Amino acid sequence: MADLLELADVSAGYGRIEALSGVSLRVPEGGIVALLGANGAGKTTTLNVISGIVAPTRGEVRFRGRSLRGLGSDAIVAAGISQVPEGREIFRDMSVHENLVIGAHGRRDKAGIARDIEVMTGYFPILAKRFRQMAGTMSGGEQQMLLIARALMARPHLLLLDEPSLGLSPLLVQQIFDIIVRLHREEKLTLLIVEQNAAVALAVSDHATILENGEVVAQGPSAALAADDSLRAAYLGA
Amino acid sequence: MSARTLAAVAVLLVGLGVALPALATGYVVYIGNLLLVFVVLSLGLHVVIGEAGQFSLAHAAFYGIGIYTAALGAGVLGLPFWAALLAGGLLAALCGLAIGVLSLRMRDIYLALSTFAFGEAMQWVFLNWTSVTGGPNGLAIPPTSVFGHPILSDKAAFPLVAGVTLVFVALVAGLHASGLGRAFRAVRESEVAAAAVGIDVRRTKLLAFTLSAFLAGAAGGLFTTFSTFIHPDSLGFQTTILVLTMIVVGGVGSVTGALGGAVVFGLVSELLRQVPSYQEMIYGGILILVMMYAPRGVFARLGRR
Repeated sequence: MADLLELADVSAGYGRIEALSGVSLRVPEGGIVALLGANGAGKTTTLNVISGIVAPTRGEVRFRGRSLRGLGSDAIVAAGISQVPEGREIFRDMSVHENLVIGAHGRRDKAGIARDIEVMTGYFPILAKRFRQMAGTMSGGEQQMLLIARALMARPHLLLLDEPSLGLSPLLVQQIFDIIVRLHREEKLTLLIVEQNAAVALAVSDHATILENGEVVAQGPSAALAADDSLRAAYLGA
Repeated sequence: MSARTLAAVAVLLVGLGVALPALATGYVVYIGNLLLVFVVLSLGLHVVIGEAGQFSLAHAAFYGIGIYTAALGAGVLGLPFWAALLAGGLLAALCGLAIGVLSLRMRDIYLALSTFAFGEAMQWVFLNWTSVTGGPNGLAIPPTSVFGHPILSDKAAFPLVAGVTLVFVALVAGLHASGLGRAFRAVRESEVAAAAVGIDVRRTKLLAFTLSAFLAGAAGGLFTTFSTFIHPDSLGFQTTILVLTMIVVGGVGSVTGALGGAVVFGLVSELLRQVPSYQEMIYGGILILVMMYAPRGVFARLGRR
């Protein structure tokens, strides 16, 4: 399969602190790739470089073979990459409905937007129940679902998920990952999932990359990484 | 602001525009003019603080730029009312854009302090650029002309001021309901989330500052239609704080709140001129009471759908 996204030797940092050094990774079209590592390993920075929030100091990000260099986050969303940011970055004082509408910010097809809102409430029935409620009043799991639905409202080809399991009960994590896998299958979404919960992420993904201190320390098929006891002990805390 | 509230405001403004000059005394009409200028000023501050959540404390400076530009445009260049108003608004907008660049680099209290500093600097310019602004002697504002007819009184100016105010209220209400309004509020709530849904955060902030300053400048242009004199003393930080109080008391983030706050607090501030020694104390008291008992503002509820 062709690569939908490719990071070639990407370095990035904040001021003089280098958060990523020489990271290369590929996300094949239609695949699920997991990006694993401890706190501060550079996982979120990698996603922020892809979605244009942080500019790389070296290297290049290519989407469908074209460089994303110099594109702002609006152009990158328009190109088909949506990020589900970590830390419950919903619009708290807006209703669930408004959150979904604003997810389609770059789109002009009103009928299509209305239809997609229905599709989203199909995947996440709880959002239909909370439709007029302020998003900030929902539970953590519901907010995470809203975040994913909001990102999908932009009709992305590639969805970047930043720690979807963070702060959720094991049951909810399972529920959310079930929906993520369904979305992948039914909406033909390509996924890049950042996780600390390595077990769940390795179970759903085909390929995985492990980062430590901003560098790639292991890369390969998820099944192989999961089976490697020394890797698991050293980096995955299992 | 709901469509129904907007319609009510339109009926009220048109009705007052026709009836007030015929029925009321000159002083009452003057107060009416002044309140409408405050409405436009509040709408402007509402755009940058209430919608986009960016702290701007230079509003009086943009207002002053609008007043001097419109007054000098009419006096020196002989511009008609519309052109003078637009010139005031546009020059203020340009300065607003420049100040907006600050918001790309800093936020919250730092942004508040920097914009405050700009406001103070501009008041100093108004006070010391004597050849243009008349400095501490103030500046006599020449009568505005509409279609060649000079406007010589508050009563003659009122329908014009009411009409222009109505246009701005409708524009800001429309902005609130539009995709751009949603983008403003998204930036206010979370820049990270706004960027994640594909909003150009930088452009959105710059636009908020520019629009806000345009409205303040246009309010200055409106002021020149009925006022005959401007002094830099009334273009300082107190004016910014007065307008800020209006939108906070009315309800931050609500167009109806900005409108209601401007009218009620404008009236209060005019009444308190009778008792200048208690003025500040009463302002403070009202602010504290509102923060305690109606932190979302007195009028915000009315405007909710």
